[in-house]
Amino acid sequence: MSTPAAPARRDPPVDPRGVRFSAALTTLVLALVLVSGSGWLLGAQALVFALGSIAGLRFSPYAVLFRVLVAPRLRPPTEREEAAPVRFSQTVGLVFAVIGTVGYLAGLTGLGIVATAFALAAAFLNAAFGFCLGCELYAVIARFRKNNQQGATA
Amino acid sequence: MISDPGLLVLVGTLALATAVGLVVRARAGRMRTGGAASGGWALAGTAPAASDRVLLLQLSSPVCTPCRRTAELLTDLSARRPGVVHLEIDVAERPDVARELSVMRTPTVVAFTRDGAELLRISGVPRLPELEAAIAPRLTGTGSA
Repeated sequence: MSTPAAPARRDPPVDPRGVRFSAALTTLVLALVLVSGSGWLLGAQALVFALGSIAGLRFSPYAVLFRVLVAPRLRPPTEREEAAPVRFSQTVGLVFAVIGTVGYLAGLTGLGIVATAFALAAAFLNAAFGFCLGCELYAVIARFRKNNQQGATA
Repeated sequence: MISDPGLLVLVGTLALATAVGLVVRARAGRMRTGGAASGGWALAGTAPAASDRVLLLQLSSPVCTPCRRTAELLTDLSARRPGVVHLEIDVAERPDVARELSVMRTPTVVAFTRDGAELLRISGVPRLPELEAAIAPRLTGTGSA
């Protein structure tokens, strides 16, 4: 959290197919968490979110898998996506995964299930429909932050 | 096994997310009419020139990939069709415009007639043939209200 916002914006743009690949893996892992009820598995997913969110998207293990295994078999990307909203969505995922992990490991299974379900819904929407809930949220928050700065115009 | 709450929540979440995804996909790029916004040219800080007939006011955010594609489509459209003006506004810079037009998502394109009344609006990348057909009647004649 010590990193200011500016370096995040300087992340290189990302291949949208890699973002969806990561979302698909995330969906799979979160589905397994719900079926198994394993707090440790959710903790591992939280670590994946943390790497993408705090270290940078290219350090996410799923992004590494995409670069090494998938991207070489695909054509070069025809378009690229801004990294900042995607990185922000990893932060949102991290928050839910941490809450869920704490829930499962503390015996609050209901909390674990609900938090995992929220993260799963977001990951699934991205994987299946290319719709990034966290990115939409990023735009909305950017708007309100600006609103607050202007203060008097509200 | 079916009584396992985790499994139930898994099935329920996927079903709900699928429904939401289908609705979002169906609405993306589709025109909606019936909006009552007005004063489009003034919101964009401009006034129609003599030959201008339709304003396509695009609301974008700085980090928004479909916004770039939408801008390309509309820049091209305004170059091909005389009387069409395309202006892009960044909602991070001008949240007041987003509020005035009740726009929550980017990109949203609001089309205004020459006298500033809302013609239609589109969230998501516009379906160009549909949009072109809808504004075509406004591009002929004197363009009076």
